Amino acid sequence: MDMLLPWILPCLALAAEPGHWSFQPLQRPAIPAIEQVGTNPVDAFIQAKLKEKGLRPNPPASRAVLLRRLYFDLIGLPPSPQEVAQFIQDPSPMAYEKLVDSLLASPRHGERWGRHWLDVVRFAESNGYEMNQHRPNAWHYRDWVIRSFNNDIPYGQFIKEQLAGDQLGSPAATGFLVAGSWDQVKSPDPVLTANQRADELHDMISVTGSAFLGLTVGCARCHHHKFDPVKQPEYYGWKAVFEGVRHGESAIGPAASSTERLQALQQELAKAEEELARLEPLANPKANAPERLAVDPKGNRERIPPARARFLLFRVNATNTGTEPCLDEIEVFAPGGKENLALATKGVKASSSSNYQGSPLHKLEHINDGQFGNGRSWISAEAGKGWISLEFPKEIDIGLITWARDREGRYLDRLPVDYSISLGLAPDHWNIVASSSDRAPINKKGMTPVKQEGALAQLEKRKQELSKELLLLTSPLRAYAGNFENPPPTWRFHRGDPMQPKEQVSPASLRWLAKPFELVANAPEGARRIALANWITAQDNPLPWRVMANRLWHYHFGAGLVDTPSDLGVNGARPINQPLLDWLACELRDSGSIKALHRLICLSAAYQRAGTMEENNSRLDAGARYLWRFPPRRLEAEPIRDTLLALAGVLDQRLGGVGFDLFEPNTNYVKVYNPLADPGPETYRRMVYQSKPRMQLDSIFGAFDCPDAGQTAPRRTSSTTPVQALSLWNSPFANRMAERLAQRIREEAGPDPRKQVLLAFSLAYSRLPEADVEAASLALVEHFSLDSLCRALINANEFLFIE
Amino acid sequence: MPMNSFSSNEPAAMPRRSFLGHASNGLSHIALASLLAGEARAFQPPGPLRPAIDPRHPQAPRKPHFNPRAAQVLVIFCSGALSHLDTFDYKPELIKRDGQPLPGDSKLITFQGENGSLTRPLWEFKPRGKSGKMTSDLLPNLGNLADDFCFLHSMTAKSNTHGPAENQMSTGFVLDGFPGMGCWVTYALGSGCGDLPAFVAIPDPRGVPQTGTNHWNSAFLPAAFQGTPFNSDKPIPFLDPPEGKKISEASSKRMLELLNKKHQERNPGDSELAARIAAFEMAGKMQLAAKQVGDFSRESPRTLEEYGANDRDNPLKARFARNCLLARRLLEKGVRFVQLFNGSYAMGEGVGNWDGHKFLKQQYSTHAPILDQPAAALIRDLKQRGLLQNTLVAFITEFGRMPTFQKGASGRDHNPAGFTVFLAGAGVKAPFSFGATDPFGYKAVENPLTIYDLHATILHLLGLDHERLSYYHNGIERRLTDVHGKVIEEILA
Repeated sequence: MDMLLPWILPCLALAAEPGHWSFQPLQRPAIPAIEQVGTNPVDAFIQAKLKEKGLRPNPPASRAVLLRRLYFDLIGLPPSPQEVAQFIQDPSPMAYEKLVDSLLASPRHGERWGRHWLDVVRFAESNGYEMNQHRPNAWHYRDWVIRSFNNDIPYGQFIKEQLAGDQLGSPAATGFLVAGSWDQVKSPDPVLTANQRADELHDMISVTGSAFLGLTVGCARCHHHKFDPVKQPEYYGWKAVFEGVRHGESAIGPAASSTERLQALQQELAKAEEELARLEPLANPKANAPERLAVDPKGNRERIPPARARFLLFRVNATNTGTEPCLDEIEVFAPGGKENLALATKGVKASSSSNYQGSPLHKLEHINDGQFGNGRSWISAEAGKGWISLEFPKEIDIGLITWARDREGRYLDRLPVDYSISLGLAPDHWNIVASSSDRAPINKKGMTPVKQEGALAQLEKRKQELSKELLLLTSPLRAYAGNFENPPPTWRFHRGDPMQPKEQVSPASLRWLAKPFELVANAPEGARRIALANWITAQDNPLPWRVMANRLWHYHFGAGLVDTPSDLGVNGARPINQPLLDWLACELRDSGSIKALHRLICLSAAYQRAGTMEENNSRLDAGARYLWRFPPRRLEAEPIRDTLLALAGVLDQRLGGVGFDLFEPNTNYVKVYNPLADPGPETYRRMVYQSKPRMQLDSIFGAFDCPDAGQTAPRRTSSTTPVQALSLWNSPFANRMAERLAQRIREEAGPDPRKQVLLAFSLAYSRLPEADVEAASLALVEHFSLDSLCRALINANEFLFIE
Repeated sequence: MPMNSFSSNEPAAMPRRSFLGHASNGLSHIALASLLAGEARAFQPPGPLRPAIDPRHPQAPRKPHFNPRAAQVLVIFCSGALSHLDTFDYKPELIKRDGQPLPGDSKLITFQGENGSLTRPLWEFKPRGKSGKMTSDLLPNLGNLADDFCFLHSMTAKSNTHGPAENQMSTGFVLDGFPGMGCWVTYALGSGCGDLPAFVAIPDPRGVPQTGTNHWNSAFLPAAFQGTPFNSDKPIPFLDPPEGKKISEASSKRMLELLNKKHQERNPGDSELAARIAAFEMAGKMQLAAKQVGDFSRESPRTLEEYGANDRDNPLKARFARNCLLARRLLEKGVRFVQLFNGSYAMGEGVGNWDGHKFLKQQYSTHAPILDQPAAALIRDLKQRGLLQNTLVAFITEFGRMPTFQKGASGRDHNPAGFTVFLAGAGVKAPFSFGATDPFGYKAVENPLTIYDLHATILHLLGLDHERLSYYHNGIERRLTDVHGKVIEEILA
């Protein structure tokens, strides 16, 4: 990547380095020589600062407290009572170090720390703004992040792949570029369209600047940066870098292929189809009584006596919900044929009575594009009715027509319940060949899945399952990782207004910070992002290493060495211990390993100190910024929910994949988010796997300062409110978890109330209760219920705070 | 404990600027500027004024920056863009030129495309009140209160799309992810009401507005300042424990108190622990207060009738009326900021809200009766009870509509270039009209106003300097008014 590329312009002179501390070259500071410190250099730096400030460090935390702290910090889950016992009883001086290593090696670690990074990059799985529709394939990026932390890929590579993973064999990583809001509402108004596009690119520029460089490059959109030396043309140099990046899905690789399974599937499917053809009654549009299965949102077959046609008409007269009908695909087969003859790629033209407006998911061309599901479907613009007509390039013989509302089985509404299918050799000479008149009745308002009965239904169901699996195995993997197009020219916009373009701008880095680059104006798209990625991660760029080392510190201790983690610029805070930050940054730059940094930090004496208050120290340093104690803090929403599930013994620890939804399915074109009344076990996964909608907070844990992903969240707030208290005290979810915890305790501890109480405290707090608390707990269990005790335990401060 | 969000946004993050902020210590600006060595910031207004928030009581009332004219705010937000031309912006020239092309802009492409001819208001305008203000028959009850209103006829918005424009009207920014107006106000001022949320959002009975929770999300402000959404159909969630559980409310609460007490004894002096205990006590009070405020059984039949709360012929109107009544009861209890929504997300052509693109006559004939009587009754009721003396009412919408019909349709497209909102109550002139659009009602031409100006004025009336009320986020000292906004002095009483 570093070879001289033809489109790089002659190198510019490096501008004079601005004097701000973080822009200075990164040099490894000498480790202070301090007596009585161990071997960890982190402590040498901290000790020097404590001495300077006249602060006396706290003694080490108890083993149980330390263990809990480490578990929550590194994996976001509590230790089991067995793990506590084992650690406390392990006499080896290496016990703690071993534990740090094993937690860093746990796949749970990437889930915990991946969530932190997802905050920084405003990741969510919906588009935001008015329509705020779901992004079904955005999760690939989330998985990439988790995997990257688990695999400890070098930090430079971590940055590069997010900017240009498509060029580096890691195509899901560019989900970073398009993780932000995207306004789906499109218009013929050119001013609006230009502003929307400018906002999209602004989002990419801003987040790239603040996530990797801790620099608010986005502030130079309308004018030179007010505080940092970022000039307005430099902003547009970055804009030229991203000019070809568009929101959307792209193929990130071939289907996961297992030829063996594929062949078996195909054979089984063929057999099922043969059987079906044998058993299946022909459509009988003249019938008035049910002869065939009720219509099914997931798929319907219309077997007809062989007929010749050039035109097909699918007319809908009513739907189950009264809303505009939806069809995801119409397929047509010759008698005994296996090949879909209705595909647009075969020259078949589709027309319709009307088309749903304003949604990219629902378009006429989806009716015969060979792709299934609500996301590739047609909806009419007429309540309860509408028609589709297909014109074949020549006359064909037809024996079977299939159609569905949503072959992926997620949507049950908009289902045609009164319909007819006609064929013709000429337009408007229709002959009805199939209709709903011989279908078994369906509850017209019924949105519940259709329950089909009998051998035929079984067979049909089996066929659908096989087809679905086959489809999954054969379709390429798609991810919301952006599309990369040939970039149009970039202009500097006067005052940031796209209607006031000034001079043309070439893709370029900032002219300072590290050795700058400028490409020719028409440089290839991918090369632009590669160039920027190389510039950001250059060894002589002092910012990325300082920024990431500081972020890691921030998440371990609750506050960074610089407490404005995404702004190390002039307007940000000053480092509280710059030599320490620089030393850590050098470690990160030279080793690339994030886990090595975690290890250094967790093994420091500072990290292992007791969190207790001490008056003298507190007077001098109330916030414990200099780390005379470990600063206690409230857990974030995700570890609270995860821990509830873990204690209840119901946490589903599946790693990665499609997320779970905490809202009801909804097909309105402006997505409506109604929380699930009673989220079931399919939602009992770690919260990082929630298919998190933008701007729409979870009804229970949203009150615990979950970011809304509208803007980046480099630092979470930590609020305490009555609504929060009510959510955990009264929500059905929290109470169900208390109940399940009680049930688990009864199973594991047996009927003895005392044993139950002891186990409850060991599980919830990794310790045994004090005598008076034990007595009170026993009384509660004996007079009321273990459930009541569990409810109190999961609402108490000790449950919610890392000490 | 050190880790509370309020103090972490305090000086450590911004040492010099907060120094500036509290710079009543005799250092001159010039001396400071030289201290800041070459960074051109002497032009800066005198730094942020961050509210001093007690982490144990983030909602406790706080002093404003200067003497306020209003203490509480009621926002009535008409989602979908209520046409100024068919309600409050009387344009005789538009009536005269009905059917003619819009001069100068005949090829104009707006949000949905091409436009047809100028179209007169679809409802008659009549003089109302003593002031004789011309308003239309679409909203006669609101029109009859014109003497109490301060109309701003020259509003402009930055976006002509509902999502970004609603964002701007409620958060100051067209982008997602900025705190709602009510969040800023409660961040600054807390609340006078101890047992109800400081900021209540009342969604329309049909559903949430077009940018949903953006209107009340606290975004980067602490969640303590998040609006709590509920209405008369859907109360605050989780006020009661789920039914049928084997739990004892009183005993498990006593156990919880014991656990917290022991824990605090082991961790003396940690304010965040105390804060959580206080929040729990507050939650207990809220359980009662929230139920009381939503219980209308003591409202007189006359009041219910005035609001239209029992209108059997129009159930949607009755439900909106109950939301209006809820708004009054919340304000009576001292809730700082109430945002009442009329209109929801789009659920079909002009069905859920004021977005009248295609069949404006039919659409508005449905929506207006839902809004008019209940909202007018609410404002009248506030006045009768003396609440308007310290409550500011802001009747707003995200943008206006075109003086033309859309090509081939019988409705008006989006128009951010000119529209009307009105204020009423504490601190504003009434009857009063300020600013004007051109003779067709297309563009603001006389004293054009931005949403920033409107926000600056609302904050000003609450005793807050919009240039100094800020919160540091991701490298920027954020304000409701971004880097813009000017208080509309001319309308202050």
